[in-house]
Amino acid sequence: MKYRVWFGEVEDGEVRLSDDLVKSFMRVGNDVSGKELPFNVFDLGVKVFGSPERYYSELRKTAIEVARLKAEKELKREDRYAIMLLKALDEIDESINLLENKLADVREVKESEVTEEMEEEIRRMKTLRRRIEGEIEAVMEKVAPNLSSILGGVIAARLLEKVGSLQRLASLPASTIQILGAEKSLYKAMARMRKGKPAKIPKHGVIFQHPFIRTLPKNKRGKMARFMAAKLAIAARIDHFTGELNDELVLEVRRKYEELVRG
Amino acid sequence: MSAKKKTQEIGKSQKILHNVYLIEKGEKQILATKSRYGSHYGEKKFGEFREWIPSRSKLAAMLLRGYRIDIRPDWKVLYLGAASGTTVSHLADIVEKGVIYAVEYSAKPFTKLIELAEERRNIIPLLEDASKPQRYSGIVEKVDFIYQDIAQKNQVEIFLDNIRMFLKKGGEGLIMVKARSIDSTAEPPEVFEGVLKKLSRRVKVVASDTLEYHRDHIFVHVWG
Repeated sequence: MKYRVWFGEVEDGEVRLSDDLVKSFMRVGNDVSGKELPFNVFDLGVKVFGSPERYYSELRKTAIEVARLKAEKELKREDRYAIMLLKALDEIDESINLLENKLADVREVKESEVTEEMEEEIRRMKTLRRRIEGEIEAVMEKVAPNLSSILGGVIAARLLEKVGSLQRLASLPASTIQILGAEKSLYKAMARMRKGKPAKIPKHGVIFQHPFIRTLPKNKRGKMARFMAAKLAIAARIDHFTGELNDELVLEVRRKYEELVRG
Repeated sequence: MSAKKKTQEIGKSQKILHNVYLIEKGEKQILATKSRYGSHYGEKKFGEFREWIPSRSKLAAMLLRGYRIDIRPDWKVLYLGAASGTTVSHLADIVEKGVIYAVEYSAKPFTKLIELAEERRNIIPLLEDASKPQRYSGIVEKVDFIYQDIAQKNQVEIFLDNIRMFLKKGGEGLIMVKARSIDSTAEPPEVFEGVLKKLSRRVKVVASDTLEYHRDHIFVHVWG
Protein backbone atom coordinates (compact mmCIF):
# COMPACT_ATOMS: atom_id res chain seq x y z
CA MET A 1 0.00 0.00 0.00
CA LYS A 2 1.19 3.46 -0.90
CA TYR A 3 0.92 6.39 1.52
CA ARG A 4 1.34 10.06 0.88
CA VAL A 5 3.32 12.12 3.35
CA TRP A 6 4.20 15.77 3.00
CA PHE A 7 7.74 15.06 1.85
CA GLY A 8 6.91 12.34 -0.64
CA GLU A 9 5.46 8.87 -0.88
CA VAL A 10 5.95 5.80 1.25
CA GLU A 11 5.61 2.28 -0.10
CA ASP A 12 6.60 -0.82 1.90
CA GLY A 13 8.67 1.33 4.21
CA GLU A 14 10.56 2.89 1.30
CA VAL A 15 10.40 6.66 0.99
CA ARG A 16 10.34 8.35 -2.39
CA LEU A 17 11.29 11.95 -1.71
CA SER A 18 9.25 14.59 -3.50
CA ASP A 19 11.11 17.08 -5.69
CA ASP A 20 8.56 19.78 -4.88
CA LEU A 21 7.69 19.87 -1.17
CA VAL A 22 4.95 22.48 -1.57
CA LYS A 23 3.21 20.31 -4.13
CA SER A 24 3.45 17.10 -2.12
CA PHE A 25 2.37 18.95 1.04
CA MET A 26 -0.80 20.05 -0.69
CA ARG A 27 -1.98 16.59 -1.66
CA VAL A 28 -1.18 14.68 1.39
CA GLY A 29 -4.53 13.00 2.09
CA ASN A 30 -4.61 9.27 2.73
CA ASP A 31 -7.75 7.22 2.53
CA VAL A 32 -7.20 5.31 5.74
CA SER A 33 -10.83 5.40 6.94
CA GLY A 34 -10.05 6.80 10.36
CA LYS A 35 -7.19 4.48 11.20
CA GLU A 36 -3.71 5.64 12.03
CA LEU A 37 -0.90 5.32 9.50
CA PRO A 38 1.30 2.24 9.99
CA PHE A 39 4.29 4.49 10.69
CA ASN A 40 5.02 7.76 12.45
CA VAL A 41 5.60 10.52 9.88
CA PHE A 42 8.15 12.12 12.18
CA ASP A 43 10.35 9.01 12.51
CA LEU A 44 10.46 8.56 8.74
CA GLY A 45 11.06 12.25 8.18
CA VAL A 46 13.99 12.43 10.57
CA LYS A 47 15.63 9.61 8.60
CA VAL A 48 15.04 11.49 5.36
CA PHE A 49 16.16 14.91 6.56
CA GLY A 50 18.94 13.76 8.84
CA SER A 51 17.85 15.36 12.13
CA PRO A 52 14.74 16.54 14.00
CA GLU A 53 15.93 20.14 13.62
CA ARG A 54 16.21 19.83 9.83
CA TYR A 55 12.89 18.01 9.69
CA TYR A 56 11.00 20.67 11.61
CA SER A 57 12.61 23.56 9.83
CA GLU A 58 11.66 22.13 6.42
CA LEU A 59 8.18 21.21 7.65
CA ARG A 60 7.57 24.65 9.09
CA LYS A 61 8.84 26.45 6.00
CA THR A 62 6.68 24.35 3.69
CA ALA A 63 3.61 24.55 5.92
CA ILE A 64 3.75 28.34 6.07
CA GLU A 65 4.17 28.63 2.32
CA VAL A 66 1.24 26.31 1.66
CA ALA A 67 -0.84 28.06 4.31
CA ARG A 68 -0.33 31.41 2.61
CA LEU A 69 -1.21 30.04 -0.81
CA LYS A 70 -4.35 28.31 0.39
CA ALA A 71 -5.60 31.17 2.54
CA GLU A 72 -5.11 33.71 -0.19
CA LYS A 73 -6.93 31.59 -2.72
CA GLU A 74 -9.84 31.05 -0.40
CA LEU A 75 -10.24 34.59 0.74
CA LYS A 76 -10.26 35.97 -2.74
CA ARG A 77 -12.99 33.83 -4.10
CA GLU A 78 -15.44 32.85 -1.44
CA ASP A 79 -17.60 35.96 -1.19
CA ARG A 80 -17.85 36.20 -4.99
CA TYR A 81 -18.84 32.55 -5.03
CA ALA A 82 -21.69 33.14 -2.55
CA ILE A 83 -22.93 36.11 -4.57
CA MET A 84 -22.89 34.15 -7.83
CA LEU A 85 -24.71 31.25 -6.22
CA LEU A 86 -27.36 33.65 -4.94
CA LYS A 87 -27.88 35.01 -8.44
CA ALA A 88 -28.25 31.47 -9.72
CA LEU A 89 -30.75 30.81 -6.95
CA ASP A 90 -32.88 33.77 -8.01
CA GLU A 91 -32.77 32.65 -11.65
CA ILE A 92 -33.82 29.16 -10.77
CA ASP A 93 -36.69 30.45 -8.63
CA GLU A 94 -37.94 32.44 -11.54
CA SER A 95 -37.65 29.47 -13.89
CA ILE A 96 -39.49 27.19 -11.51
CA ASN A 97 -42.25 29.72 -11.13
CA LEU A 98 -42.59 30.24 -14.85
CA LEU A 99 -42.60 26.55 -15.64
CA GLU A 100 -45.14 25.81 -12.96
CA ASN A 101 -47.49 28.40 -14.42
CA LYS A 102 -47.08 27.05 -17.90
CA LEU A 103 -47.59 23.53 -16.70
CA ALA A 104 -50.85 24.51 -15.06
CA ASP A 105 -51.97 26.18 -18.30
CA VAL A 106 -51.15 23.15 -20.41
CA ARG A 107 -52.81 20.78 -17.97
CA GLU A 108 -56.04 22.69 -18.12
CA VAL A 109 -56.24 21.81 -21.79
CA LYS A 110 -54.90 18.30 -21.77
CA GLU A 111 -53.06 15.82 -19.55
CA SER A 112 -50.27 14.02 -21.43
CA GLU A 113 -46.87 12.37 -21.21
CA VAL A 114 -45.27 15.74 -21.83
CA THR A 115 -46.94 17.28 -18.81
CA GLU A 116 -45.55 14.50 -16.68
CA GLU A 117 -42.08 15.13 -18.02
CA MET A 118 -42.46 18.81 -17.24
CA GLU A 119 -43.47 17.97 -13.73
CA GLU A 120 -40.45 15.72 -13.34
CA GLU A 121 -38.20 18.48 -14.62
CA ILE A 122 -39.63 20.96 -12.12
CA ARG A 123 -39.04 18.51 -9.31
CA ARG A 124 -35.43 18.16 -10.39
CA MET A 125 -35.00 21.91 -10.41
CA LYS A 126 -36.39 22.11 -6.91
CA THR A 127 -33.81 19.59 -5.74
CA LEU A 128 -31.10 21.64 -7.37
CA ARG A 129 -32.52 24.73 -5.72
CA ARG A 130 -32.18 23.12 -2.30
CA ARG A 131 -28.61 22.11 -3.13
CA ILE A 132 -27.70 25.66 -4.10
CA GLU A 133 -29.34 27.03 -0.98
CA GLY A 134 -27.39 24.59 1.18
CA GLU A 135 -24.15 25.57 -0.51
CA ILE A 136 -24.86 29.26 0.07
CA GLU A 137 -25.46 28.57 3.76
CA ALA A 138 -22.22 26.61 4.01
CA VAL A 139 -20.11 29.15 2.17
CA MET A 140 -21.57 32.11 4.03
CA GLU A 141 -20.91 30.45 7.35
CA LYS A 142 -17.24 30.46 6.42
CA VAL A 143 -17.02 33.86 4.75
CA ALA A 144 -19.22 35.76 7.17
CA PRO A 145 -20.03 33.69 10.25
CA ASN A 146 -21.46 36.62 12.23
CA LEU A 147 -23.69 38.01 9.50
CA SER A 148 -24.94 34.48 8.83
CA SER A 149 -25.64 33.74 12.47
CA ILE A 150 -27.93 36.78 12.66
CA LEU A 151 -29.55 36.66 9.24
CA GLY A 152 -29.12 33.12 7.96
CA GLY A 153 -26.85 32.45 5.01
CA VAL A 154 -29.20 33.38 2.19
CA ILE A 155 -30.29 36.80 3.45
CA ALA A 156 -26.70 37.54 4.45
CA ALA A 157 -25.61 36.66 0.91
CA ARG A 158 -28.26 39.02 -0.40
CA LEU A 159 -26.69 41.90 1.53
CA LEU A 160 -23.35 41.00 -0.02
CA GLU A 161 -24.93 40.91 -3.44
CA LYS A 162 -26.31 44.41 -2.98
CA VAL A 163 -22.93 45.95 -2.24
CA GLY A 164 -20.65 43.55 -4.12
CA SER A 165 -18.25 42.39 -1.46
CA LEU A 166 -17.78 41.81 2.24
CA GLN A 167 -15.14 44.49 2.33
CA ARG A 168 -17.57 47.09 1.09
CA LEU A 169 -20.30 45.95 3.43
CA ALA A 170 -17.90 46.26 6.36
CA SER A 171 -17.29 49.89 5.49
CA LEU A 172 -20.97 50.87 5.48
CA PRO A 173 -22.75 52.59 8.37
CA ALA A 174 -25.64 50.78 10.04
CA SER A 175 -28.15 53.28 8.64
CA THR A 176 -27.18 52.33 5.10
CA ILE A 177 -27.29 48.61 5.82
CA GLN A 178 -30.75 49.08 7.27
CA ILE A 179 -32.23 50.20 3.96
CA LEU A 180 -30.06 48.23 1.51
CA GLY A 181 -32.43 46.90 -1.10
CA ALA A 182 -34.92 49.72 -0.58
CA GLU A 183 -33.02 52.29 -2.61
CA LYS A 184 -35.90 52.99 -4.91
CA SER A 185 -38.32 54.00 -2.20
CA LEU A 186 -35.56 55.91 -0.41
CA TYR A 187 -34.87 58.06 -3.45
CA LYS A 188 -38.55 58.53 -4.05
CA ALA A 189 -38.92 59.75 -0.47
CA MET A 190 -35.93 62.02 -0.81
CA ALA A 191 -37.31 63.54 -4.01
CA ARG A 192 -40.59 64.27 -2.28
CA MET A 193 -38.82 65.81 0.68
CA ARG A 194 -36.82 68.07 -1.60
CA LYS A 195 -40.08 69.43 -2.91
CA GLY A 196 -41.23 69.95 0.65
CA LYS A 197 -43.88 67.26 0.48
CA PRO A 198 -44.52 64.68 3.21
CA ALA A 199 -42.63 61.48 2.52
CA LYS A 200 -42.30 57.99 3.84
CA ILE A 201 -38.68 56.98 4.38
CA PRO A 202 -38.25 53.24 4.12
CA LYS A 203 -37.53 51.38 7.36
CA HIS A 204 -35.96 48.32 5.85
CA GLY A 205 -34.80 46.70 2.65
CA VAL A 206 -33.25 43.27 2.33
CA ILE A 207 -33.36 42.64 6.05
CA PHE A 208 -37.16 42.82 6.00
CA GLN A 209 -37.02 39.21 4.85
CA HIS A 210 -35.82 38.22 8.27
CA PRO A 211 -38.65 36.72 10.37
CA PHE A 212 -37.74 38.93 13.34
CA ILE A 213 -38.79 41.97 11.34
CA ARG A 214 -41.43 40.50 9.09
CA THR A 215 -43.45 39.00 11.93
CA LEU A 216 -43.58 42.13 14.09
CA PRO A 217 -46.49 44.55 13.94
CA LYS A 218 -45.85 47.44 11.58
CA ASN A 219 -45.18 50.05 14.26
CA LYS A 220 -42.33 48.04 15.74
CA ARG A 221 -40.58 46.98 12.58
CA GLY A 222 -38.60 50.19 12.31
CA LYS A 223 -37.20 49.78 15.79
CA MET A 224 -36.22 46.20 15.15
CA ALA A 225 -34.69 47.04 11.78
CA ARG A 226 -32.63 49.84 13.27
CA PHE A 227 -31.35 47.62 16.05
CA MET A 228 -30.61 44.73 13.76
CA ALA A 229 -28.79 46.94 11.27
CA ALA A 230 -26.57 48.25 14.06
CA LYS A 231 -25.61 44.70 15.00
CA LEU A 232 -25.14 43.76 11.37
CA ALA A 233 -22.70 46.62 10.87
CA ILE A 234 -20.64 45.27 13.76
CA ALA A 235 -21.00 41.71 12.46
CA ALA A 236 -19.81 42.68 8.98
CA ARG A 237 -16.72 44.32 10.43
CA ILE A 238 -15.85 41.36 12.62
CA ASP A 239 -16.38 39.04 9.67
CA HIS A 240 -14.19 41.13 7.42
CA PHE A 241 -11.36 41.79 9.84
CA THR A 242 -11.09 38.74 12.07
CA GLY A 243 -13.68 36.22 10.89
CA GLU A 244 -14.31 34.81 14.34
CA LEU A 245 -17.81 34.05 15.52
CA ASN A 246 -19.14 36.11 18.39
CA ASP A 247 -22.46 34.71 19.50
CA GLU A 248 -23.33 37.65 21.70
CA LEU A 249 -24.55 39.52 18.63
CA VAL A 250 -27.22 37.03 17.69
CA LEU A 251 -28.34 36.77 21.32
CA GLU A 252 -28.73 40.52 21.59
CA VAL A 253 -30.84 40.57 18.44
CA ARG A 254 -33.02 37.77 19.78
CA ARG A 255 -33.44 39.53 23.12
CA LYS A 256 -34.49 42.74 21.41
CA TYR A 257 -37.01 40.84 19.33
CA GLU A 258 -38.52 39.15 22.35
CA GLU A 259 -38.71 42.47 24.11
CA LEU A 260 -40.56 44.01 21.18
CA VAL A 261 -42.93 41.08 20.83
CA ARG A 262 -43.90 41.32 24.47
CA GLY A 263 -43.91 45.07 25.01
CA MET B 1 9.38 58.35 16.73
CA SER B 2 9.13 55.13 18.63
CA ALA B 3 6.55 54.89 21.38
CA LYS B 4 8.00 54.69 24.84
CA LYS B 5 6.93 51.62 26.81
CA LYS B 6 5.58 52.42 30.21
CA THR B 7 6.97 50.10 32.81
CA GLN B 8 4.05 48.29 34.40
CA GLU B 9 4.05 47.73 38.10
CA ILE B 10 3.66 44.09 39.02
CA GLY B 11 4.02 42.28 42.27
CA LYS B 12 4.97 38.77 43.31
CA SER B 13 4.64 35.94 40.84
CA GLN B 14 3.99 32.27 41.41
CA LYS B 15 4.90 29.59 38.89
CA ILE B 16 2.07 27.14 38.20
CA LEU B 17 3.29 25.40 35.04
CA HIS B 18 6.31 25.59 32.82
CA ASN B 19 6.44 29.25 31.76
CA VAL B 20 3.01 29.94 33.27
CA TYR B 21 2.68 32.30 36.22
CA LEU B 22 0.08 33.83 38.47
CA ILE B 23 1.07 37.41 39.05
CA GLU B 24 -0.15 39.85 41.64
CA LYS B 25 -1.15 43.11 40.13
CA GLY B 26 -2.65 45.53 42.61
CA GLU B 27 -5.63 43.79 44.18
CA LYS B 28 -5.98 41.30 41.34
CA GLN B 29 -4.20 38.19 40.23
CA ILE B 30 -3.53 37.76 36.56
CA LEU B 31 -2.36 34.81 34.53
CA ALA B 32 0.60 35.20 32.21
CA THR B 33 3.15 33.25 30.24
CA LYS B 34 6.82 34.00 30.10
CA SER B 35 7.50 34.98 26.54
CA ARG B 36 10.16 36.67 24.52
CA TYR B 37 7.63 37.65 21.92
CA GLY B 38 5.36 40.66 21.63
CA SER B 39 1.61 40.98 22.02
CA HIS B 40 -0.48 38.92 19.60
CA TYR B 41 -4.12 39.75 20.28
CA GLY B 42 -3.96 42.99 22.22
CA GLU B 43 -2.88 41.48 25.54
CA LYS B 44 -0.59 43.49 27.79
CA LYS B 45 3.09 42.79 28.35
CA PHE B 46 4.70 43.11 31.74
CA GLY B 47 8.41 42.80 31.19
CA GLU B 48 9.00 39.24 30.07
CA PHE B 49 5.40 38.25 30.91
CA ARG B 50 2.53 38.20 28.48
CA GLU B 51 -0.91 38.48 30.04
CA TRP B 52 -3.17 35.51 29.31
CA ILE B 53 -6.74 36.75 29.19
CA PRO B 54 -9.32 34.19 30.41
CA SER B 55 -12.23 35.73 28.54
CA ARG B 56 -10.32 35.22 25.31
CA SER B 57 -8.88 31.79 26.00
CA LYS B 58 -10.69 28.83 27.50
CA LEU B 59 -7.43 27.21 28.50
CA ALA B 60 -6.61 30.30 30.59
CA ALA B 61 -10.10 30.14 32.13
CA MET B 62 -9.49 26.52 33.07
CA LEU B 63 -6.12 27.26 34.68
CA LEU B 64 -7.61 30.13 36.66
CA ARG B 65 -10.37 27.81 37.78
CA GLY B 66 -7.59 25.92 39.52
CA TYR B 67 -7.37 22.87 37.29
CA ARG B 68 -3.88 22.02 36.05
CA ILE B 69 -2.64 19.80 33.28
CA ASP B 70 1.09 19.36 33.44
CA ILE B 71 1.95 20.44 29.91
CA ARG B 72 5.64 19.70 29.41
CA PRO B 73 7.98 22.02 27.48
CA ASP B 74 8.85 19.29 24.97
CA TRP B 75 5.30 18.16 24.23
CA LYS B 76 4.05 17.74 20.72
CA VAL B 77 0.56 19.13 20.42
CA LEU B 78 -2.27 18.81 17.93
CA TYR B 79 -4.49 21.85 18.29
CA LEU B 80 -7.91 21.69 16.61
CA GLY B 81 -9.75 24.96 16.08
CA ALA B 82 -6.77 27.27 16.36
CA ALA B 83 -8.70 30.32 15.05
CA SER B 84 -6.43 33.35 15.04
CA GLY B 85 -4.00 31.81 17.49
CA THR B 86 -4.88 33.48 20.79
CA THR B 87 -4.54 30.34 22.90
CA VAL B 88 -1.96 28.87 20.52
CA SER B 89 0.38 31.78 21.21
CA HIS B 90 0.44 31.02 24.94
CA LEU B 91 0.64 27.27 24.41
CA ALA B 92 3.64 27.94 22.16
CA ASP B 93 5.28 29.74 25.08
CA ILE B 94 4.75 26.63 27.20
CA VAL B 95 5.88 23.95 24.75
CA GLU B 96 8.92 25.96 23.76
CA LYS B 97 10.94 22.87 22.91
CA GLY B 98 8.03 21.02 21.32
CA VAL B 99 5.75 21.69 18.37
CA ILE B 100 2.12 22.63 17.80
CA TYR B 101 0.20 21.47 14.76
CA ALA B 102 -2.47 24.15 14.58
CA VAL B 103 -5.53 23.21 12.52
CA GLU B 104 -8.06 25.83 11.47
CA TYR B 105 -10.69 25.60 8.77
CA SER B 106 -11.64 29.20 8.23
CA ALA B 107 -9.30 31.29 6.08
CA LYS B 108 -10.00 34.66 7.70
CA PRO B 109 -8.71 34.04 11.24
CA PHE B 110 -6.11 31.72 9.75
CA THR B 111 -4.19 34.63 8.21
CA LYS B 112 -3.50 35.92 11.71
CA LEU B 113 -2.37 32.45 12.72
CA ILE B 114 0.10 32.41 9.83
CA GLU B 115 1.63 35.63 11.14
CA LEU B 116 2.07 33.95 14.51
CA ALA B 117 3.66 30.89 12.91
CA GLU B 118 6.10 33.13 11.07
CA GLU B 119 7.12 34.77 14.31
CA ARG B 120 7.48 31.59 16.38
CA ARG B 121 9.58 28.57 15.59
CA ASN B 122 7.28 25.85 16.90
CA ILE B 123 3.93 26.29 15.13
CA ILE B 124 2.89 24.37 12.02
CA PRO B 125 -0.24 26.06 10.59
CA LEU B 126 -2.69 23.82 8.73
CA LEU B 127 -5.71 25.16 6.85
CA GLU B 128 -7.72 21.98 7.14
CA ASP B 129 -11.06 20.63 8.27
CA ALA B 130 -10.64 18.89 11.63
CA SER B 131 -13.52 16.56 10.82
CA LYS B 132 -11.41 15.08 8.00
CA PRO B 133 -8.21 14.03 9.77
CA GLN B 134 -7.21 11.70 6.95
CA ARG B 135 -6.52 14.84 4.89
CA TYR B 136 -3.62 15.80 7.12
CA SER B 137 -2.59 12.28 8.08
CA GLY B 138 0.63 12.60 6.10
CA ILE B 139 1.69 15.72 7.99
CA VAL B 140 0.79 15.37 11.65
CA GLU B 141 2.94 13.00 13.69
CA LYS B 142 2.01 11.12 16.85
CA VAL B 143 1.46 13.71 19.56
CA ASP B 144 1.44 13.88 23.36
CA PHE B 145 -1.53 16.18 23.65
CA ILE B 146 -4.64 16.94 21.62
CA TYR B 147 -6.49 20.14 22.40
CA GLN B 148 -9.81 20.90 20.82
CA ASP B 149 -11.93 23.99 20.83
CA ILE B 150 -14.34 23.94 17.93
CA ALA B 151 -17.96 24.87 18.49
CA GLN B 152 -19.55 22.29 16.27
CA LYS B 153 -22.40 19.89 16.62
CA ASN B 154 -20.22 16.82 16.16
CA GLN B 155 -17.22 18.18 18.04
CA VAL B 156 -16.95 15.12 20.29
CA GLU B 157 -16.77 12.72 17.34
CA ILE B 158 -14.15 14.94 15.70
CA PHE B 159 -12.11 14.91 18.90
CA LEU B 160 -12.27 11.12 19.17
CA ASP B 161 -11.37 10.61 15.50
CA ASN B 162 -8.27 12.72 15.91
CA ILE B 163 -7.33 10.93 19.11
CA ARG B 164 -7.54 7.61 17.32
CA MET B 165 -5.32 8.76 14.49
CA PHE B 166 -2.75 10.93 16.21
CA LEU B 167 -2.51 10.46 19.96
CA LYS B 168 0.47 8.57 21.37
CA LYS B 169 -0.12 5.77 23.85
CA GLY B 170 -0.39 7.45 27.22
CA GLY B 171 -1.14 10.80 25.61
CA GLU B 172 -3.67 13.28 26.95
CA GLY B 173 -6.55 15.24 25.52
CA LEU B 174 -8.47 18.34 26.44
CA ILE B 175 -11.77 19.32 24.86
CA MET B 176 -13.74 22.51 25.37
CA VAL B 177 -17.39 21.63 24.97
CA LYS B 178 -19.98 24.21 24.09
CA ALA B 179 -23.49 23.13 25.05
CA ARG B 180 -25.27 25.49 22.71
CA SER B 181 -23.56 24.29 19.58
CA ILE B 182 -24.19 20.62 20.32
CA ASP B 183 -27.86 21.09 21.08
CA SER B 184 -29.27 24.58 21.33
CA THR B 185 -32.63 23.45 22.71
CA ALA B 186 -31.56 21.08 25.49
CA GLU B 187 -30.41 22.23 28.92
CA PRO B 188 -26.60 22.46 29.13
CA PRO B 189 -26.27 19.93 32.01
CA GLU B 190 -28.10 17.36 29.90
CA VAL B 191 -25.85 18.03 26.93
CA PHE B 192 -22.73 17.71 29.09
CA GLU B 193 -23.91 14.43 30.54
CA GLY B 194 -24.35 13.01 27.04
CA VAL B 195 -20.91 14.25 26.03
CA LEU B 196 -19.21 12.66 29.04
CA LYS B 197 -20.96 9.39 28.37
CA LYS B 198 -19.89 9.42 24.75
CA LEU B 199 -16.29 10.23 25.68
CA SER B 200 -15.95 7.64 28.42
CA ARG B 201 -16.87 4.87 26.00
CA ARG B 202 -13.60 5.47 24.18
CA VAL B 203 -11.20 7.31 26.49
CA LYS B 204 -10.69 7.76 30.20
CA VAL B 205 -12.32 10.90 31.50
CA VAL B 206 -10.02 12.35 34.16
CA ALA B 207 -11.84 15.52 35.08
CA SER B 208 -14.37 18.01 33.85
CA ASP B 209 -15.85 21.23 35.11
CA THR B 210 -17.57 24.39 34.01
CA LEU B 211 -15.61 27.45 32.93
CA GLU B 212 -15.90 30.99 34.17
CA TYR B 213 -15.93 33.72 31.50
CA HIS B 214 -17.42 31.27 28.98
CA ARG B 215 -21.09 30.62 29.52
CA ASP B 216 -22.41 27.07 28.98
CA HIS B 217 -18.97 25.61 28.37
CA ILE B 218 -17.14 22.81 30.13
CA PHE B 219 -13.66 21.43 29.75
CA VAL B 220 -13.05 17.69 29.76
CA HIS B 221 -9.60 16.29 30.40
CA VAL B 222 -9.08 12.77 29.05
CA TRP B 223 -6.40 10.13 28.78
CA GLY B 224 -6.20 8.27 25.49
